[in-house]
Amino acid sequence: MAQAEHLVIDRLTKVYERGQVVALKDLSFSVKKGEFLVVIGLSGSGKSTLLRCVNRLIEPTAGSIRLDGVELTRLSVSNMRRVRRGMGMIFQHFNLVKRSTVLTNVLAGRLGYTPTWRSMVGWFSKRDHEMAMANLERVGLVEKAHVRADELSGGQQQRVGIARALMQQPTLLLVDEPVSALDPATSNSIMQYFEQVNREDGVTVLTSLHFLSLARRFGTRILALKDGGMVFDGLPGEIDNAWFKEIYGEDAEEVEVR
Amino acid sequence: MDAEPHGSTRRESLSHHEIRALLKRRVFSFVLDWAVWGYVAYAVVFFLNHYWFTWIPAHWYDTLALPSWGWALTIAATLELTVILRSSGRSLGMRAFGLDLRPSSGERIPVGRRVLRILCWQLSVPLALVGFWARPSRPWHDRLAGATLISTKAESAEDAGGDPAGGPIRGPEKRALATQWGIMSLFLFGLTFWLGWLIVEANLSTLASRASKAGDLFQEIARPDFRYFFTEDPIFVLRRGTYSILDLMVLTLFMTLLSTFLGTVFAFPLSFLGARNLMGKSPIGLVVYTVVRGFFNIFRAIETLLWATIFAVWVGWGSPFAGVLALTIHTVAALGKLFSEQVEGIESGPLEAVRASGGNFLQIIRYAVIPQVMPAYWAFTLYRWDINVRMSTVIALVGAGGIGTLLFYYKNEGEWSVVGAVVIAIVVVVWAMDYLSGWLREKVVR
Repeated sequence: MAQAEHLVIDRLTKVYERGQVVALKDLSFSVKKGEFLVVIGLSGSGKSTLLRCVNRLIEPTAGSIRLDGVELTRLSVSNMRRVRRGMGMIFQHFNLVKRSTVLTNVLAGRLGYTPTWRSMVGWFSKRDHEMAMANLERVGLVEKAHVRADELSGGQQQRVGIARALMQQPTLLLVDEPVSALDPATSNSIMQYFEQVNREDGVTVLTSLHFLSLARRFGTRILALKDGGMVFDGLPGEIDNAWFKEIYGEDAEEVEVR
Repeated sequence: MDAEPHGSTRRESLSHHEIRALLKRRVFSFVLDWAVWGYVAYAVVFFLNHYWFTWIPAHWYDTLALPSWGWALTIAATLELTVILRSSGRSLGMRAFGLDLRPSSGERIPVGRRVLRILCWQLSVPLALVGFWARPSRPWHDRLAGATLISTKAESAEDAGGDPAGGPIRGPEKRALATQWGIMSLFLFGLTFWLGWLIVEANLSTLASRASKAGDLFQEIARPDFRYFFTEDPIFVLRRGTYSILDLMVLTLFMTLLSTFLGTVFAFPLSFLGARNLMGKSPIGLVVYTVVRGFFNIFRAIETLLWATIFAVWVGWGSPFAGVLALTIHTVAALGKLFSEQVEGIESGPLEAVRASGGNFLQIIRYAVIPQVMPAYWAFTLYRWDINVRMSTVIALVGAGGIGTLLFYYKNEGEWSVVGAVVIAIVVVVWAMDYLSGWLREKVVR
């Protein structure tokens, strides 16, 4: 695994204009190629904002984000779209178009690479179709390709989300609370897909997680946010009871998810 | 593991933002209550005039016939009534804006305290208006009376869920008619009906005594004369052509098909530009949104009949093309608005996903928006076709062509039995189209 700095975040700050809510304050860290970095923290600690700042779905207020040496915060809209192609994103609520078929949803991951006029008439290349079927094969949903997305279970929908992100042939996966809407057994199998993509394809994974147990099991490194600031940056094994209380508050108790 | 903060207690002091929001609602609810009493005062003067006085002009409701002392008295009296009722219970305005007056301690506010609040108000609010408002969250007519005006509704969705301690404050549920606002609503309802009855000069005895005249008419219509159903009436000439009922019926149907189609074609792309969730991200987008929505609202507010009048002058009296143009313009505006609102109601998740994968604006619309709105778009279009069919039968009144031309021609000629035939033809077609579009709508909304 290469050890180059893939993503460098420097003094990243996000302030929401209304109500002066500081979502992220002065966050600095870097991610090496091939890392599986897990961000933990309470609801509202800024995990989602952080992930969305990286691909600028949310505009950062200040600070710099560099991907392979390219400063993202100053890119034009069209250049940013080009960079986004290389960053897959997985969402808590899957964000599939429920009325479209699984295949259409997966092909949508290819939109950044498809000329606008071709995508308007829905004319994806033969290669894209083959790739879509290959990715569906990978998440074990080939036979569901022509089924409407809302007919699938939650876990299956998230697998479609993974296949869609893989269509982008990403070097970085931004994964936002991938298993919060799923039951524990499904959660584990979904996480294993990310692990596989990380190990076999060398894709860097940056994920937020609710469950510390999952973070410990899958993360190669853990970041903890609290009120938009970083309170922990280290190896999974380093989080002991004292750290846990620091991150989640005095009253919290750890619950195992297997 | 559940790491939600459980220990969060209800905040005792409100934030600056919340105080402002509460104050705003307080003012609005007061204005509403006062306006209600202003309306009652209007009604009182109207009744006095209608039943007893004669010195105010007969149609006084469009004149301001009160002496200046009368105005002063009305304003003062309604203001005092408002204050008194807002102190003695939950007024209509308080209910409408989700406010309630609660005792600071104990179960209820005693009558004496309520009277005290009314008296204090007379000094407290004028002082507040010149800038001595010490604590806007709890002005001192509330404090001295030992009462607080609180919000009974959650400020946001976040408050509505979450911990029960911080949720909206609810009093014991009372039957609506046992509350001040309930009685007031009922009273206003009755008052409006009574007032309206007098203003529109409703007269049941005329309706009954002149029924025989309408009866003659109905008898004629009830013997429909289908002479001109297939054969053209040689005497009726419209734009150098002669027509039978069937001719114009077919023409009218094509008018509605064409205008619905054209209207949808224009409304479809415009609807995305008129949706706030798609356009509200940038200043230019907001400008486009405002312009498009403004266009929808203005053009929709102008009725099809008015458009028909304009186009009949423009392209010629009795020309069906005028009707098509009129129906199209109104269809664009009405459908555009319905479509846009549909777009504003979609899930934002898929939009985010397409954006995250590097998709541009058109791709977001094609892959995240359209699949979500398509069934509703079909339903609205068919519904609009339905409206256009009904509308197309009357726009002939102002010269926009179609089957209505015959209807009004024979009406003016006094040939009521032919009118009967035209009416039957219209009813059959409208009913059939209504049924067809309803059936299609059910098929597409899946």
